[in-house]
Amino acid sequence: MAAPSQQPTEKLQRVGTRTDVREYDGRLRLLAILFLFPLVGLVVQLYRLQVAQGEYYHQVSSENFVREVNLAPDRGMIIDVRGRVVAENRPSFDVYLTPAVFRLRDDAVSELKRVLHMSPEDERRLQAHLDARSRADYVAARDITRDQLAMLESVRAELPGVYVVVSQRRHYPYDALAAHLLGFMNEIQGPELDNLQEFGYLRGDFVGRTGLERAYEPILRGAPGIERQVVNVSGEIEQDTIAADLLGSYRRIPPVAGKNLHLTIDMELQEIVDEAAEERVSGGIVVLDPRDGSVLAMFSKPGFNPNAWSGRLSTQEQRESDNNPFHPMLDKSVQSWFPGSTYKVITAIAALEEGLITAEDTINCPGYLQYGDRRFRCWNRGGHGDTNLRSALAESCDVYFYQLGLQLGIDRMASYAYEFGLGERPGLGFNGDSPGVVPTREWHEQHSPGGFQYGFTVNTSVGQGDTRVSPLQLALAYAALLNGGTLYYPRIVDRITAADGQVVFEYPRRVRRMLPFSEQHRGEVIEGLRAVVHDEQGTVFSHRLPYMNVVGKTGTAQVRSLESVRLADGEIVFRDRDHAWFVAVAPLENPQVVVSVFLEHGGAGSGDAAPVAMEIIDRYFREVLGWNDAVEMAISTGDDAALRALFATSAAPTPSIPDSRPASAGTLLPGESPLQRALPDPSDESFGDPIVPDTSQAPGTPAGWLPVFPVVQDDYEGGGQ
Amino acid sequence: MSSSLSQRNSLHIDWFLILLVGTICAVGLINLRSAAEADGLQHHVSQVLWVILGGTAAGLLAAQDYRNVERAAYLLLAGAVFLLILVPLIGDTNNTTAQRWIDLGVFQLQPSEPAKLAVIVATARYFHEVESPNAHGIRQMLPPILMVAVPWTLVLIQPDLGTATAILLIFGTMCLFERIKASTITAFAAAGVAALPVMWFLVMHDYQKERVLSFLNPDEDVQGDAWQVSQSRIAIGSGRLLGKGYLQGTQVQNGFVPEHENDFVFANHGEQFGFVGGVALIVLYAVLIFWALRIARYGRDRFAVLCAVGVSAFLFWHVVVNLGMVMGVLPVVGIWLPFCSYGGSAMMTSMMLVGILLSISLRRQVFA
Repeated sequence: MAAPSQQPTEKLQRVGTRTDVREYDGRLRLLAILFLFPLVGLVVQLYRLQVAQGEYYHQVSSENFVREVNLAPDRGMIIDVRGRVVAENRPSFDVYLTPAVFRLRDDAVSELKRVLHMSPEDERRLQAHLDARSRADYVAARDITRDQLAMLESVRAELPGVYVVVSQRRHYPYDALAAHLLGFMNEIQGPELDNLQEFGYLRGDFVGRTGLERAYEPILRGAPGIERQVVNVSGEIEQDTIAADLLGSYRRIPPVAGKNLHLTIDMELQEIVDEAAEERVSGGIVVLDPRDGSVLAMFSKPGFNPNAWSGRLSTQEQRESDNNPFHPMLDKSVQSWFPGSTYKVITAIAALEEGLITAEDTINCPGYLQYGDRRFRCWNRGGHGDTNLRSALAESCDVYFYQLGLQLGIDRMASYAYEFGLGERPGLGFNGDSPGVVPTREWHEQHSPGGFQYGFTVNTSVGQGDTRVSPLQLALAYAALLNGGTLYYPRIVDRITAADGQVVFEYPRRVRRMLPFSEQHRGEVIEGLRAVVHDEQGTVFSHRLPYMNVVGKTGTAQVRSLESVRLADGEIVFRDRDHAWFVAVAPLENPQVVVSVFLEHGGAGSGDAAPVAMEIIDRYFREVLGWNDAVEMAISTGDDAALRALFATSAAPTPSIPDSRPASAGTLLPGESPLQRALPDPSDESFGDPIVPDTSQAPGTPAGWLPVFPVVQDDYEGGGQ
Repeated sequence: MSSSLSQRNSLHIDWFLILLVGTICAVGLINLRSAAEADGLQHHVSQVLWVILGGTAAGLLAAQDYRNVERAAYLLLAGAVFLLILVPLIGDTNNTTAQRWIDLGVFQLQPSEPAKLAVIVATARYFHEVESPNAHGIRQMLPPILMVAVPWTLVLIQPDLGTATAILLIFGTMCLFERIKASTITAFAAAGVAALPVMWFLVMHDYQKERVLSFLNPDEDVQGDAWQVSQSRIAIGSGRLLGKGYLQGTQVQNGFVPEHENDFVFANHGEQFGFVGGVALIVLYAVLIFWALRIARYGRDRFAVLCAVGVSAFLFWHVVVNLGMVMGVLPVVGIWLPFCSYGGSAMMTSMMLVGILLSISLRRQVFA
């Protein structure tokens, strides 16, 4: 430390060339010593690690193959209203391997191939993974058979680094029954993983794709856990203290099981629906309880087997499904279609409420409506003569409703359709849940080439033209008509329970709105619907049930105008056939069930759809509700009055369905339960605001019966029956 | 005495320094090559490129008179500060925890590395020119401290605790070569101690606190740092006396040591080459550090001396802190191992400092 203090302090000296080599020696020596100690310290530490404790660390490292095992949560089950399991989990044995260890044996690949019956393609993929020198564990096979598992265990010693993980695979005990409703699951595809990763999904995880599986994915899934294991070179799990030291404090985070869905669906009824529609090619059927909107059965045809779709679907199965012209993956019970004459109920209510007619007023049906130079035909070319509301509904007279439609105008009709929930999403929350179309003047200005024409009003009055509704919407609308005027949201999940059975959330029934129609007018329309089934002129008289008052309305929605219908050997080509509808409520005195049957290209409402609906109603009361004996006895004794009385009061045999339904479900309205906000309600997203038609801009009804009307060339063929 | 290279005998070139750095680079590349068994070759290949680029830069600097560097020192510092300011503005926004890089398309520049170089040359230039009657007081010490504080703060808030620490240690080491009043040292030390709680509560991020806590209390594994260090220790320890052999390191090859091509590269080295290989590398670094001090001894002027000391300190602190944290005796702060850890900005900075060192050595004072 000699030199610096004697330094001249003039700047020039300081800046200039040094003259004394020893000038900084003291400080350099100090610095060298300061530097030396830590460096020696490093060597000492290295000695401690590698020489003093080297054997210990070597031991640790040889056992140090830490594996992180993802613990998949048990997915919640889906259970029907009577406690039947409709979606569950079964074990799937998946074979994994750790490449670093697996590579240690030369013949490991061929041995594994032998045991697992690997295809050449699978073998190539495995080899590619090994060649890529990836450290990631590889899934060699999923869902192997028990025989393969036994074989694998027996040659375990010759296959280092191979281990089996038991995972859960979704299983649907009813196979294709209610497939659209339940949906299916499959593996997350490559690019999706990026988005799903932040929600804890991993490569190889399954995710719900359609139906309830998709809509309630977050509730069903649960939360995954993780376990860290230390395994030795042979792949055996180490439990000793070294392992414990290595793993630190987070060895295991247990998974949280998913929640169970309890449905309002009754699988027995679902099966009845399936059988009733057995001979039909394509269509959608909804059965619900008019008292609270609970969906009892939901059916769409053709269907698919979710068990096949949840596995690795063979390319052939995939192609078959893609090429099927009836779109098996589409849920037709919530798709919207031309409603045909089932829509006449709306026209009827509208005319009564607007005071345009009374139930007794008659309109003459000559078989057609001449409007300008265009002729709108009734389905009955011979005409119905003088018809009142009751006979017009019973016989499904088109001309009667053409006249009402012209008086009402398209926008006034639409406003009544909106009251019934048509044109807005019913609120099921999955599978598209179509809002349908309720055309207005404005809608036509936007969507129809040439804008609005008065002919549209005529068509709309009988459910033709551009009107589209879904079987679910019609079921809810008819339920509202019959239950005293309450339009419900559909209710398909009754409650959610945790794995231990505790109820975590209940879905109460939810009222969408009260129909503001007078009781008298509703009664008059219902009387017309009763006549449909029980009057001799009624379109479904021949299919009536002898023991119960059923009300309903048929619909035969024309798909093509007559000129373009093709005939094949005298038969109408299937795709050109009409859609068949029948919406029924039973029993009239004490409505307990609504059945909405839609058959795509099914033919006629009365001949094709009605028998299906009647079979469902008949078997529902006899088999599901267990009234068969009482019905048979009453029929055999011929005591018709007593039989009808049986259904007329609520003192009738109590159905067993409400057992699993919460007693409190009747009173809550949306928002009343704090739990409701806490839990995601998957149906919420589709609760669109109802579209309220702007009736102020309605053209108004032309003063006379027959307003001037633009010329349309096509001869319109009315739907009917 | 002319300073032009052509007139110098090639014997004046510091071949020993070149040999030392070359050897260490070769060891680093060998280790990166072995890691390629697990990760692929891309690190190794681009590191070879960086060694070549860095060596070229070092050669160009060596051919320069270091006084050109001295003249540019403040400009370099200003440039480094400018780049550091740029980082949060145009840096990689995908990185949510820290912003340290500027994406130049071809590679990602980490401006905190050239900042270290700028601090060394700027400090050396300042102390070269400053004069005080006896020893430096607050008035003389305040400018360099402020000068260093600007890039230091910018690095700290990125946040990059490791680089900030390195800058502070290098600057502190260089200050040892100045005569500073005891009262001034006490004042600044007191201010620093007072600033500690401010740093802890206002500046440091949670993950940095966790690292310090994890070091102070290794039993409580926070954020997996203890896990990382534990795996690194196992890797080194399991190398024993002679190592597992090249490419035979199970710890690194099976991916148990995170960052084994980067900050934890020594774990790979220790596992493969054992105590013998480890000591050999430490000795190489020690010789390099002391060689830099030897160059300082013969520096032609004060700038040369301080600059060489700065480079020596730069190497020393990086080696000691890095090996200390890899061997589990210092907290994990993200300090890399010069010439061995993978990274372009780090390699370029180290190589340019070697270039300056070469230039100083080439123009050393031949004392009578």
